Amino acid sequence: MLTMAEAIREAMCIAFDERPEVFLLGEDVGIYGGAFGVSADMYHRYGAERVLDTPIAELGIVGAAVGAALSGMRPIVEIQFSDFTAQAMDQIANQAAKIHFMLGGALHVPMVLRTPQGSGTGAAAQHSQNLEPWFASVPGLKVVVPSNPADAKGLLLSSIDDPNPVIFLEHKLLYKIPGREPVPEGSTRIPLGVSKVVREGKDLTIVATGIMVNKAWEVCEKLSAEGISITLIDPRTISPLDMQPVFESVDKTGRLLVVQEGPAHAGFINEVIAQMAGSASFGSLIAPIKRLAGMNIPIPYAPQLEKAAVPQIEDIEIAAREIVKNWR
Amino acid sequence: MSFKYPVVMPKMSMTMETGELIIFHVKVGDHVKSGDVLFEVMTDKIDMEVDAPADGVIDSLLAEPGAVIEIGKPVLIMLTDTEVMAFDFGNEEVEAVQVEQIEQVEVKIAPPTAAVILNESVKAVPKARSEAAKRGVDLRTIAATGPDKTITMHDLNNAQVDPAMAARQKANRALIAKGIEMSRGIAQASFSRTVNSDFETATLIRAWASVLRSRPDLAIHTHVGVALIIESKYGSALPVFKDPDHLAHEDLKALVASTSEAAKNGKVPLAMLTGATTTIFDVSRYSMNSSTPLLFPNQVTSLTIGYGTESEKNISLTIDLNFCDFYDGALLLDALVASITKH
Repeated sequence: MLTMAEAIREAMCIAFDERPEVFLLGEDVGIYGGAFGVSADMYHRYGAERVLDTPIAELGIVGAAVGAALSGMRPIVEIQFSDFTAQAMDQIANQAAKIHFMLGGALHVPMVLRTPQGSGTGAAAQHSQNLEPWFASVPGLKVVVPSNPADAKGLLLSSIDDPNPVIFLEHKLLYKIPGREPVPEGSTRIPLGVSKVVREGKDLTIVATGIMVNKAWEVCEKLSAEGISITLIDPRTISPLDMQPVFESVDKTGRLLVVQEGPAHAGFINEVIAQMAGSASFGSLIAPIKRLAGMNIPIPYAPQLEKAAVPQIEDIEIAAREIVKNWR
Repeated sequence: MSFKYPVVMPKMSMTMETGELIIFHVKVGDHVKSGDVLFEVMTDKIDMEVDAPADGVIDSLLAEPGAVIEIGKPVLIMLTDTEVMAFDFGNEEVEAVQVEQIEQVEVKIAPPTAAVILNESVKAVPKARSEAAKRGVDLRTIAATGPDKTITMHDLNNAQVDPAMAARQKANRALIAKGIEMSRGIAQASFSRTVNSDFETATLIRAWASVLRSRPDLAIHTHVGVALIIESKYGSALPVFKDPDHLAHEDLKALVASTSEAAKNGKVPLAMLTGATTTIFDVSRYSMNSSTPLLFPNQVTSLTIGYGTESEKNISLTIDLNFCDFYDGALLLDALVASITKH
């Protein structure tokens, strides 16, 4: 069973083998093998021309990638921590995302920006954020949040294929975890913009992203033993967002719990709630929609506080049980 | 409080004709609960307390303590939201009084389906709103048990047990139980026969009315009023078909059908709630083989119809032995069977 880091590496190698214009650049992705060991031995397999160690200069890294993409290459950028994308935001939001639109479709930017995010590593406020709403609110960017190795591989291959910029957000705690399902061999793609129904139940619908899918899965297993059956949906791509399976599920369960690690205020998951509230499936709700998300604070350094700042398995369990029990 | 209900001097024994009002336990404007004592009555045999048949407010007192009042004459008038659906305790004079009373108040009666409003401003889950609209349910009538007093689907699905409905059922039940209790001490006898089941309810009602009319020696009334027990959403309803043997068969059939339908929704015309001289209870539609007929106050006979086989029904008759001999009971049932078999 591959871990998510291994699955991502496998996808990059497949793309490297399929297309000579694919290359990887970023801080310590070469000789060191990546801050989280994702690129590992790729430098030795593909050489310094295709696995580029860069200076510590995110604006320059992304700027170089955008330029390369405009001239026919397919760069994969790795930013060491997603928090550092702030340094490169002009290239991401004002250049990469806009060029195809502002030049009337004459040019496009087939760039993938991979970057680890999330808390749980004791890396404090500047290395632990979940910044998906930054990117999801910029038209022109696609945003992918894989929750397991198999999805990460198939989605990354589709992201590299995509003619427009894709932000690929990898939760640090998932890198070393094998998935519940084996990673398919070969180069099968998973299309962007298709939500995955992870499991089906009749009492409650949970929509969760990234590592929260794993936490919610544990809750589904536990409550299943108590006779509460839960549908778990992983959007996988949060921009574009595929809500259809969520509507169809809520039509059956009548109850919706949404979970994300990032702060609640103006978080991505609120988009799920907004679309539900405005949909025909609103009339199927037999309970208020419940949201679980991170606190609206910088991620604390102290481990206990760091843990308390984002939803944990117990929080999801309590919320799920209460919705089903209180709203019949 | 839109329904004036006269509480009358009850008939507490077969020989009782008048009763003396001893004391009122209520005054005008008092709020009373079903079962509260309204006044005390003395007869030649017993003293008795008369209870409120439903929740309500005392509208007026019609006699002074010490007055001797004929049975069936109103002693006080109550205002109630509860439509009292049962039977009268009195005789023909009662009926005249009540009908007169009814004519005065009939226009003021709230439609029985207008439920009591419990939640003026409604909070409900979206599904409950759409379902309520689909089912034609007014959400304001539903007791909310969800968090923050929100109506849940569970509340909507259990809406029929709202407190107003429960109170109504309780009052109705209490009135019937009281009537049965009053006649329980009467010496009585029961008989059963199995007959071919190819007769309609209207045929049975007509035939039974003719049989009773042919025995004026057994009657304590000058008319025949056949009460039919029908289950309604408020409990048992007992609409009375007066002199049904004087109606053409088709007319009676139509009247039975429309009244049964109305009774199911608690909408029996007030004029049809009085004047019963006998009662029919058809338990065959619940697949019951028989049920002992119970005598209601001021009635000498009672019938039940039970399920026999695919082609047969069981008719049971109870008679008041103060008015009939055992032999009379057998003759009555025999005459009834002969009459409906002939049809």
